[in-house]
Amino acid sequence: MTLLRKLQQRRYVTALVSMIVLVLLAVWKPYALIEGIQRGGVYSLIALPMALILGIVGIINLAHGEFMMLGAYFAYWLGVYTGLDPLVAIIPALAVFALIGAATYLLTIRRALKAPELNQLLLTFGLAMMAAQFANLMWTSRPLKPHLSYVYSSISLGSLRFGTYAFVYTGAALVLLAGLLLFLRRTRLGKAALAVGQNPRGAKLVGIDVNRTYMLIFSISIALVGAIGALFLTRHSVFPAVGSPFTMKSFCLIAMAGIGNLPGVVWGGFALGIAEAFVLSFRGYGGWADVVFFAVLVAVIMTRSYRRRVV
Amino acid sequence: MSTKGKVSFLKVGILAAVMIVGLVFIAVAQEGPIKLGAVNPLGDITGAQSTKAMELAVAEINAAGGILGRQLELIVIDSEFDAAKGAAAIDRLATVDEVDIFIGGMSSGVHLGEIPTLKKYEKVTVWAGAASSLVEEAMEGEDWYFHLHPWDYLQGGSYVQGWADISAQYPLIDIKTAFWAYEEGAFGSGSYAGSLVAHDAWDNVGESFKSAVFGGGDYRSVLRHAQEIDPDIFIWVGYGADALPIMEQAREIGFAPSLFVGSPPGWPADFGESPLAEGVVAYGMWAPSMRNISPVSDHFWNAYIEMHEEEPATYFAPLGYTNVYVVAEAITRAGTLEKEALIAALEETSYDSPLGETLTFTPSNLIEHQGFQGQKILQWQDGSQQILWPFEFATALPHFPYTGR
Repeated sequence: MTLLRKLQQRRYVTALVSMIVLVLLAVWKPYALIEGIQRGGVYSLIALPMALILGIVGIINLAHGEFMMLGAYFAYWLGVYTGLDPLVAIIPALAVFALIGAATYLLTIRRALKAPELNQLLLTFGLAMMAAQFANLMWTSRPLKPHLSYVYSSISLGSLRFGTYAFVYTGAALVLLAGLLLFLRRTRLGKAALAVGQNPRGAKLVGIDVNRTYMLIFSISIALVGAIGALFLTRHSVFPAVGSPFTMKSFCLIAMAGIGNLPGVVWGGFALGIAEAFVLSFRGYGGWADVVFFAVLVAVIMTRSYRRRVV
Repeated sequence: MSTKGKVSFLKVGILAAVMIVGLVFIAVAQEGPIKLGAVNPLGDITGAQSTKAMELAVAEINAAGGILGRQLELIVIDSEFDAAKGAAAIDRLATVDEVDIFIGGMSSGVHLGEIPTLKKYEKVTVWAGAASSLVEEAMEGEDWYFHLHPWDYLQGGSYVQGWADISAQYPLIDIKTAFWAYEEGAFGSGSYAGSLVAHDAWDNVGESFKSAVFGGGDYRSVLRHAQEIDPDIFIWVGYGADALPIMEQAREIGFAPSLFVGSPPGWPADFGESPLAEGVVAYGMWAPSMRNISPVSDHFWNAYIEMHEEEPATYFAPLGYTNVYVVAEAITRAGTLEKEALIAALEETSYDSPLGETLTFTPSNLIEHQGFQGQKILQWQDGSQQILWPFEFATALPHFPYTGR
């Protein structure tokens, strides 16, 4: 393919423009680029399990952030009672939250699958309220955070000094994306899940157990978000209301990427993270970060809508 | 006396006895417990521990025989940090529970919502928290309203005085430039605006950040801007959830101002355990180290732990304890619950509080009955808060400059 033909394809133009912007940013505001990639990693990582549920089960899980909050509490208390580092607590969190996810699905979600979307929203909103109130009653609203010296590790490149630990979120987001894509495209279960997500009735006709697939995907997602809670705890405080803002951001990212578009969620997360970090790099303009976040979101959704109409 | 006469006399005697017993019962019923109605956010450590401290004070007073021969009863309703729920709680306490006095409470936003309902009943009110001067404006001219927590401008004034005194005592601590990192909500921006007025002698630079409470948690940009300014004092005004991450991120980028000051309403449980906490300056009305210099504080500390099997971790605990004792002593002085007598008795308050100061009520800018006049300057040393200023309550010498551990 010649370079000219490549340029005629929209995705190559997008990639080229993105590269130019990133290079300019690296020269002009290197901190904004580094910290934006790290921020974007957090957003993408948290949004991916929600995207999985929405893409396959078709439910907007408004308790998504609360499951992450519970995962963070789980890791915190496991650390208090056993001395386990939150990074190690990721493994038991995966197992425990897979069970919690399965139980939540069987007791609540399954019964609302055929209900109107508003009922489903109310159900998951109710779960979110219950989880937050449970945490409040159990551990009060006092924030908790273990001291972990590795979270402020940093390196200096000339006059540039930046933290290195937060790249864990970036790496985890990319690894999770790769893992989910492999699971969905290369495994029998994953392919079945994709089929269910695209056409549940058709999947049922060819012998796929739709209900079991839904339960599996829901459990995997809750296990992932619980484990992400443990990872989140390493760098953030945990308190009952810590999760809800991330439910909102995750949903925005999914809306921006399009339902079922897992790579889009990750790239969108990085784009928004970098955009926010860029705005924040100007002193006195911190309050505009949210405006930029939602402006980018609105712009992307409108552009996609316009393109669909043109096509 | 004939047999008939004897029977009649006996009947009259029994009737009289029954009437006396009945009257005693009625009197006892009327002299039931004295009811104190509190509205606290029970899900928050400030409200939870304040309530526990109130329960301790009530238990102590009742164990000592109560007041005016009657027991104290504490009725607490959870405000859930919600102004509408706070107002409904006041209504319920006044009408259903028929409390005699309102006490407790925190959060200016919640209290502003409660004030119209308080004004509807005009019962004697001794309010513990709510620092905003907007509350003071709303309560101007209400002689039944007594306020314990220092107003925001009183707090600002005490910090100015405190730093001036500390600088005079320790010339190495010389503050000319200050960088304020404040959370972008009403709490942070309001505190920053008030601080600018109070600290007008400093060269102040401020920048907002998004608190972890509202989905933020990345403070590096604001810390880098502070690093560029290289201030003599760096003060962050946010919530407890921001405390440790902000210290970690400052260390991450290599930002270590000489004075690192945090001003959250409450510190996270593990903050003192972090080596980064060492030398961090804090503002507050009380620190656990106060028990080393104040017998009242020492008694409060031990009794609280004995009753609740946990340590008081916020100054709202001794403030809640003070709240009940101030009311109880005023009722004793007044000898009645009659409103005017009670107001007069409260005006005579001189209570040696576990917060250190002897509490009296004096006029502030707009209300007649203001209690505490300022905050204290504290410092995290070896995992616990020590008092640096006022010097009469000092429990340690300042560690300067901030290095962490």
